[in-house]
Amino acid sequence: MNLPHLHLLLNHWPIIGTFIGLGLLVIALIARSSDVKQVSFTVFATMAIASIPAYLSGNAAAEAIKKMPEVGAPLIETHEGAALLAFGALGITGLLALVGLWQFSRSRDVEFHAPAWITTAVLISALITVALVSVAGNTGGNIRHPEILEKGSPTSAIAAMGASWLLSIRYFVIDYSRWVWPVLEAMHFIGLILILGTVCLLNLRILGFYKALPVGPLQSLLPWGIAGLIINVITGFMFFIGMPFFYTDNWIFQLKILGVIVATVNLLLFCSATFRSWESIGPKEDAPGIAKLVALTSFVVWIAVVILGRYIPLGAPN
Amino acid sequence: MEIPHFFLTIEESGLSMWVRDNPFWAILTVHAVGMAMLVGASSIIDLRLLGFASKVPIAPLRRLYGMIWAGFWIQIVSGLLLLIGYPTKSFTNLDFYLKLILIAFGMFATLKLKTRVFSDPNMSESDMMVKGKTLALLSLFFWLAAVTSARMLAYTYTNVSYPY
Repeated sequence: MNLPHLHLLLNHWPIIGTFIGLGLLVIALIARSSDVKQVSFTVFATMAIASIPAYLSGNAAAEAIKKMPEVGAPLIETHEGAALLAFGALGITGLLALVGLWQFSRSRDVEFHAPAWITTAVLISALITVALVSVAGNTGGNIRHPEILEKGSPTSAIAAMGASWLLSIRYFVIDYSRWVWPVLEAMHFIGLILILGTVCLLNLRILGFYKALPVGPLQSLLPWGIAGLIINVITGFMFFIGMPFFYTDNWIFQLKILGVIVATVNLLLFCSATFRSWESIGPKEDAPGIAKLVALTSFVVWIAVVILGRYIPLGAPN
Repeated sequence: MEIPHFFLTIEESGLSMWVRDNPFWAILTVHAVGMAMLVGASSIIDLRLLGFASKVPIAPLRRLYGMIWAGFWIQIVSGLLLLIGYPTKSFTNLDFYLKLILIAFGMFATLKLKTRVFSDPNMSESDMMVKGKTLALLSLFFWLAAVTSARMLAYTYTNVSYPY
């Protein structure tokens, strides 16, 4: 299996997942089911994470297919634009869903339904996301399936807008000023500190260090870590959009992204109703084995992500 | 500006060549992890004293000073090794001196906070927050500035004897 193959395997997930998540949300609203709503939010958050490798592997797929004579570059550029917008929408929906899941984790009431505003926000964002992933899927399919193309070149105003944004971001990161990249790097490091500082403190406490601290309140530091994660996903994607060739075929970068995926899925456990059972672990009390396993995984993988990130320049193709 | 001969002498030493040879990226990585320990632990104390995550009890956070010191010494050792590898690159860059000053201020504010807030075990949490507020803000500011100036070192140097 190579990266273009990986792109084909991964790119259907965020599309189908978003439709399923939306369906579940509608069912939850009709049935007034707290559980189904949590499942729906979890699907949205997971799809946002799944869209990271789907987007990143797209560049390799584009490079591989560009060389084929029957494939038009405009079709690929259109798809790249649509994919950027879909990726952004998936991220926003995932984040809103995370806010909802967070509120579930803070409530002790099993019949808790999350406030109406966050449910409404997720619903609206999910509807927009469904539209944008559909455009991304369609424009992607057009690249390799001439049999479905209508006469003339297919145009999509939305995808064209995304494509122009992509060019603007690349121009901003690379050519606008020589200081943009360094400032983004500084922000990426500050994001790293926020993630490691907050997430690793909670991990260490669950593992049995700093036992004078109760576990529950440490969770309220996590929004700072999530803020760091948002900063780093945004700055990280700006690096990628600026110099895709530096990252796409870079095995250290690929491994780092795998680490980010594992660590973020892991973080979901600390930010959802799973945390309810660990919430009440007080000072000097020991955490259960499963909590320790989650904490150890989180700790090891986040450190690995930092190490791999630092080594990215060594994995770049010559 | 003429580069002092002293830097070149260091760069020709065995230890300097060793640093530049293969462990350079490993040392840089350790330096990044040490940064996260030092600044991460300090920032948590600062944020708590500024009123965030208000359910976290303040007094036990004193134990984080162990992490801060561990991070600090990791930074000193790994930083010195990097400096031995690339003395010309660092010492001819004004930003490097700015970074050292900011770290000194950051460390000063963070340690001052310990004596002011954590030395009296009977102090109430609200008193701790009142007493620590200014120092917590300063500490946060200096660490942010130190990290930024440190990251800029890779983009601001003008002289380097051994480009990598």
